[in-house]
Amino acid sequence: MEPVLVAQALNALFGIASLAIVALGLAVVLGLLGVLNLAHGELVMVGAYCAWVAQQNGWPYLTAVPLALVVCGILGYAVERWLVRPLYQRPFDTLVVTWGLSLLLRKCAEAIFGLGYKSLSEPIGGTVDVLGATYPRFRLVLIGVSAVVLGGLVLWYAKSRTGTRIKAMAGNPDLARALGIPVARYASATFIVGTCLAGLAGVLIAPLVPVQPFMGLDHVLMSFFVLVVGGLGSVGGLLTGSAVIGGTNSVVSALSDSTGGYFAVLALAIVFLWLRPRGIHART
Amino acid sequence: MRAPDAPRRGVPTVVRAGVAIVALLALPFAVGDFWAYQLGLLYLYAIAALGIGLCWGRAGFLPLGQGLFFGLAAYLSGLALIACDETPWLLLVLIPLAACASGVLAFAIGTLVFRRRGESGPYFSMITLALSLLAYQVANNWESVTGGFNGLKGIPGLPGLDSYTAAYYVAALALISSTLATGWLYRAPLGVLWAALSYNERRVVMFGFDSNRLKAVAFGVSGLLAGIGGALYAPQQGLVTPQLCGFALSADLVIWAAVGGRGRLLGPVLGAIVIGAATSALRDRFQFWEIGLAIVFILVVLLFPQGLVGVFAPLERWWRGGVRRLAPIAAPARSAASGAARLAIEAIDVRLGEVRILDRLTLAFDRPGIYCVIGPNGAGKTSTFNVLTGELAAQAGRVSFDGRSIDRLPTHRIVRLGIGRKFQIPSVFADLTIADNLAIALWSGRAGALALLRPSLRRWSSALRDELELRYPFLGDDSRTAAELSHGERQVLELAMALLGEPRLLLLDEPCAGLSPQETAAAIDAIRWASERRGATIVVIEHDMALVRKLADHVFVLHNGSLIAQGSVAQVQGNAAVQAIYVGAEK
Repeated sequence: MEPVLVAQALNALFGIASLAIVALGLAVVLGLLGVLNLAHGELVMVGAYCAWVAQQNGWPYLTAVPLALVVCGILGYAVERWLVRPLYQRPFDTLVVTWGLSLLLRKCAEAIFGLGYKSLSEPIGGTVDVLGATYPRFRLVLIGVSAVVLGGLVLWYAKSRTGTRIKAMAGNPDLARALGIPVARYASATFIVGTCLAGLAGVLIAPLVPVQPFMGLDHVLMSFFVLVVGGLGSVGGLLTGSAVIGGTNSVVSALSDSTGGYFAVLALAIVFLWLRPRGIHART
Repeated sequence: MRAPDAPRRGVPTVVRAGVAIVALLALPFAVGDFWAYQLGLLYLYAIAALGIGLCWGRAGFLPLGQGLFFGLAAYLSGLALIACDETPWLLLVLIPLAACASGVLAFAIGTLVFRRRGESGPYFSMITLALSLLAYQVANNWESVTGGFNGLKGIPGLPGLDSYTAAYYVAALALISSTLATGWLYRAPLGVLWAALSYNERRVVMFGFDSNRLKAVAFGVSGLLAGIGGALYAPQQGLVTPQLCGFALSADLVIWAAVGGRGRLLGPVLGAIVIGAATSALRDRFQFWEIGLAIVFILVVLLFPQGLVGVFAPLERWWRGGVRRLAPIAAPARSAASGAARLAIEAIDVRLGEVRILDRLTLAFDRPGIYCVIGPNGAGKTSTFNVLTGELAAQAGRVSFDGRSIDRLPTHRIVRLGIGRKFQIPSVFADLTIADNLAIALWSGRAGALALLRPSLRRWSSALRDELELRYPFLGDDSRTAAELSHGERQVLELAMALLGEPRLLLLDEPCAGLSPQETAAAIDAIRWASERRGATIVVIEHDMALVRKLADHVFVLHNGSLIAQGSVAQVQGNAAVQAIYVGAEK
């Protein structure tokens, strides 16, 4: 194969993987709990700042992973327990409350780290030869880790007993509770998994983007549009959505500018809202 | 009959509004130039916050990117002010146009996003959020027009009004008139319908109102309010930057509306002024001011949705006095054609996945009278109603009303042809008064789009309403909201609402479920009476055979989505196939 084509294919794969891993946490929480967590982007930001703290202190990059998981896990527990749980019957208010939380996290980040951009160096530098194309090694790692996380989560959800119970909870919480499934605990755990995935995504993308308090907004919107287009409830949907949104954004951005790309994504989301409100891979 | 004007306690409206207006106008003398300047700016934000209150507190959807409309109008007005330095009279047209541009854009966006019903809440919020970020990017990048990151500089003030005090008065007058106009809308039928939408959109549609249009209008008005604020911001501040369009102002507006109290007219205004003033006074003194504000916002949403105005509620009740009931006005006659309806359902197929819900179902209602549709659970009775009202799409077959095919029409258009429906679970507008619930039913099919702006429509009454009030005295009790009614009373209220639209075809889904024997007798009475007096065609879904015997002129028996028998009660009871279904006899 032509090296140029290989590089293009890898770029596309990287684009899909980085969008999908960022959207995954939002998809878990929205798909299973019906909560649109508007603070999702800020949790990605928290993960990215964890990576920055680790690098700043000269710790190995991998230490950022447990750090982000612990911070986002604690945040996830607290948020579910005190903000989201009282509102499961009022889904619209969960959106408003998590929006307030996103403000709070952003202002906290501003107070702690300041408004300026932080940039991280890639922990795994250099390039590799893939079928004749030279490609940055860290990007390949990101593709690999995203694939493993996605695949592992899907396999566990499909095969494990806990996965089945969570399905029961998502389908009908009252019936699940009547069957003795500890719904409150599972809901809490599901929310924590969602926030931890956001933190992990933040660690993964931190070296590739400017880390700053406002970074979350773009991520939560793009993730949401991925889910609008792809639909909830399947990995296929998540990947298709990432491909469509990422593809549209990069093609239109290349033809005009980033504003055009953004506009195209938004227009696409509105069109999907009319024609396929449940996305491409609708769960029946 | 309804009570004539009762003497009221409390302070008259004119005095209340007058005191507030005089206080606003006298304020600059009390607080000095610096605060007059600060307040003038906050008033403009307060106008935009009014719009958030309208959308969120009234109509039940939350725009997260209102800065877009504020910023757009500010840029347009700034450009106009710069361009018209020589011809100031043109500004009289251009500045209002700048505000209107925002309103029109908001209405267009609302029309696009609300085109599809349901699930629009979060979608709408996310799309408005994204739009404001997009507007920020455009304003930032389009340097030749907007001045880029540094903004549009050197905008002249309004000709002849550029002192601090004059700017204050312009802002104060704009705030007063915007608040009065919004208050007017809240009192008008339109405002009642917005509130009704947020409680039960399906029910509003079932009265023949286009809920998407209503929401788009609400968003358009909120865009216009933000536009008024923005259009006056440019001359007042002399500088318009991309930040106005972006996230920060949009977020502040939502916080102010929530903390002030989104549910009431003055809540967002109060929030913008109080929180805004506190922020500019205290932000530099307390490092964590904004963090604290975000926490307060979260707490308000969780625990105290009434906001600041909720604190003053007891004071306000004294200030406002009791509810006054005005003399009723006779509602005009319904505009749809009268006489018995001819409804035909021909070979309708409805499938959901593998499940056949309706299977080549054919029913004809061609004479006035009471038809009962019976059948075991899952026979497709309610689904038949849903197909009739256009809520469930059929894969095959035809539905016609008076010979006209209606199966491609949207629900509100079908209903306007003269169809009324009562749902199985009583669905009334819980937080509205009984009178407003009944008024909405009266507007159905009678009030045109412009009439919805006239508050006097809330006093509409009709002969039928008077008769219903005689039968069910609680319907005349204005002090109660529908939420305070018992289950049986709600059933009666919804039945009354369905009747008040004076439909030619009335669909009743288990109208007597959960009623006491007395209430059931009264309901049967009302249904019979409506059928005889109005000559309407009434279709009742019912399980209780005793009721069917009392009501039915004609019975349809459904099983597994198809018609298996029809005729008089005695005929279907004697039918072997019907007996087989109900008793489980061998075929």
